Amino acid sequence: MTAFFLLPFLWLATAAYKPSRDMFSVPPMLLFRPTLEQFATVLRIFDVRSLLSSSLLIATGSVGLSLLLGVPAGYALARSSSRYATVAAYFFMAVRMVPAVAALIPFYLMMRDVGLLGSWISVVLINSMLNSAFVTWMMFLYFRGLPKELEEAALTDGCTMFGAFWRAALPAVRSGVVASALFCLIFSWNDFLYPMFLTRLDSKPLSVALLAAFGTKDITWGALGALAHFSTIPIVLIVLALNRYFVQGLTKGIH
Amino acid sequence: MELNPDLRDHTATLSPRVALKRPVLAARSYADRRRLFLISMALPGLAYVVAVGVWPLTKGIWFSLYDYNLLKPAQTHFVGLRNYADVLDDSVARQAFSNTVVFTVSAVAVELVLGFAIALALWRDDRFNRVCLALILIPVTITPLVVGLIFRALLMPDYGLVGYYLAESGFSGPHGLFAYGSSALATLIFVDIWEWTPLVALILLAGLKALPSDIIEAARADGATGVQRLRMVIIPLMAPTIVLAVMLRTIDAFRIFDSIFVTTGGGPGNATNSLMLHAVKQGLEFFNIGLASAIANVTLLCIAVMATAFVILFRQADRRAHGS
Repeated sequence: MTAFFLLPFLWLATAAYKPSRDMFSVPPMLLFRPTLEQFATVLRIFDVRSLLSSSLLIATGSVGLSLLLGVPAGYALARSSSRYATVAAYFFMAVRMVPAVAALIPFYLMMRDVGLLGSWISVVLINSMLNSAFVTWMMFLYFRGLPKELEEAALTDGCTMFGAFWRAALPAVRSGVVASALFCLIFSWNDFLYPMFLTRLDSKPLSVALLAAFGTKDITWGALGALAHFSTIPIVLIVLALNRYFVQGLTKGIH
Repeated sequence: MELNPDLRDHTATLSPRVALKRPVLAARSYADRRRLFLISMALPGLAYVVAVGVWPLTKGIWFSLYDYNLLKPAQTHFVGLRNYADVLDDSVARQAFSNTVVFTVSAVAVELVLGFAIALALWRDDRFNRVCLALILIPVTITPLVVGLIFRALLMPDYGLVGYYLAESGFSGPHGLFAYGSSALATLIFVDIWEWTPLVALILLAGLKALPSDIIEAARADGATGVQRLRMVIIPLMAPTIVLAVMLRTIDAFRIFDSIFVTTGGGPGNATNSLMLHAVKQGLEFFNIGLASAIANVTLLCIAVMATAFVILFRQADRRAHGS
C-alpha cells in the first residue's frame, strides 16, 4: 500500500537521471545508466536562478505576512470572551473553502487597476489572504487549548499585555507556529493558478515553469524530473523532516 | 493668551474629586484596555482578509450582473440575472456541473473506504506504522499540478511507463486513457484518489486514536468479532470524524481545477470539463468576466450549501456519538 502511494513520486525523482535516448525506448525501460544530462538541459532552457528567486520571494513574503497577520489575530480571537470572536474565527475558516477562481478574476482586475499585475507582489498579496485566514483559524485552535494561567502570571510579574502574548503565550505554542508556517510554505511554493495569471515571464515562479517544461518539443519528463528537484522535492524533504508538526497541524486544523 | 485646551484638560485631572474616583476608573480602563489590545491584535488580519478576499468576492457578485467583456469594455451594461440564466441554459456549463458532481462523489466515496482501511491498518502506534504514515503522506505535499504531470507522463500510450502496457494490452485505447471520453474522467478520479486518500486516512487515524479504549475493550470482552466491533462500536463513534473528512474532501474536490487543467484541459470534447475550469476559460481566456463570475458564484453557492449541510450533519453525529 505504501508502495502504491510512493512509486509515482520515486518515478518523478529518478526520471531526472534518465538519459534522453532511454526516454523514448519501446517498450519503456525501468533500468538505466544514470546521467546528469537532464539537469544540463533544464539549466540551458530555463533561467532556473530567476525562477528560484521568484519562488523564494513569493514563499517568504507570503509566509512572513501570513504569520504576522494571522498569529496575533488567532490569539486575540482565542482570548476574547465576546461571542463575535467565535463568529470571526469561523469566518476565517470559511475563507479556506472559497473556490480560488471566484477570487481570482476580480483580484486580477484589481491588480490591473493598481498596476501590480505581472509582479510577484500580487501573488504574495492573494496567497497571504488565504494563508493568513488559515493561520488565524489554526492559531485560534492552538491558543484556545492553552491555559490562561501562564499569561496571567506574566501580567502580574509586570509584563505588558503584548509582553504576555510575546513572552508567555507564543513560546508555548511554538509547534503550532511551525505547523502554520509549514502549511503556508507548501501552499505558496506549490500554488500555480495565481502566479500563472498574475505574473510575467520575469517574475514567474518554478511552479509555472513546470507546466512549460512539459509538452515542449525538445524537452521531456526528464526535464520535469530535474526541475522537480528544485520545486517539488525540497518541499517533500522539508515535510518529511518536520513530519511531526505536519501531522499535528493537519489533524489540529481540522478538529 | 489663550490656554491650550489640552493643558486645561490636564489640569482638570489634578482636582481631588477625580483623584478619588481613580481606583474605579483604573479597573474599568483595564477591561477597556484589554479589549482595545485584543481588537488591535485581530484587526489587521481581519481588515486584510476583508480587503483582499471579501471585497473582490463582492465585486465578483457585482460583475456577474453585467454583460462585461474585457475585450469590449465600452459595451458593458447591466443585464440582471441573465448571466445566471445563460449558465443554466448552456450545455457546456451543465456538463461541467455534472462532471464535477460525478468526480466529487466517486472520488470521495473511494477515498473514504480506502482511507478507513488504511487508518485501521496503521492504528497500532509502532515505529513501522509511523514510518509508513510519513511516507504515505508524500502525495499530499506534492502540488496537484505536478501530480497531474506525473500521471500524464506515466500514462502516455507511446512512451509512458504504465500507459504503454495499458495500450499494448488493450486496457486503454491506442491513444491512452486521457484521450477518450469514456476513460478520461475515471482516470482523473483515480489520480485524485491517489493524491488525497492519505489525507483521509490521516484524519480518520487521528479520530481512531482519540477513541476511548475502554469501550472497545469492553466490546472485545463481550465476545464481539472484529467486524461486529467495527460496525457496532467504532463506526458510530467515528461518525463525527467521518463527516469532517468527507466534508473537507467534498469541498476540495468540488473545486477541482489544477490536475484537469494539466492533463486533459477539460477534453476530449467537454468530457472532463469542471465548473472551475469552465470559469477560468470563460474569464481569463475569453475575458467574458460577467459569465465567468456567474459560474464562480454558482460554485460558491453550491459549496456554501454543502458546508451548511455538513455542519448540521456533524452536529447530529457528534451529539449521537457523545450522547450514547
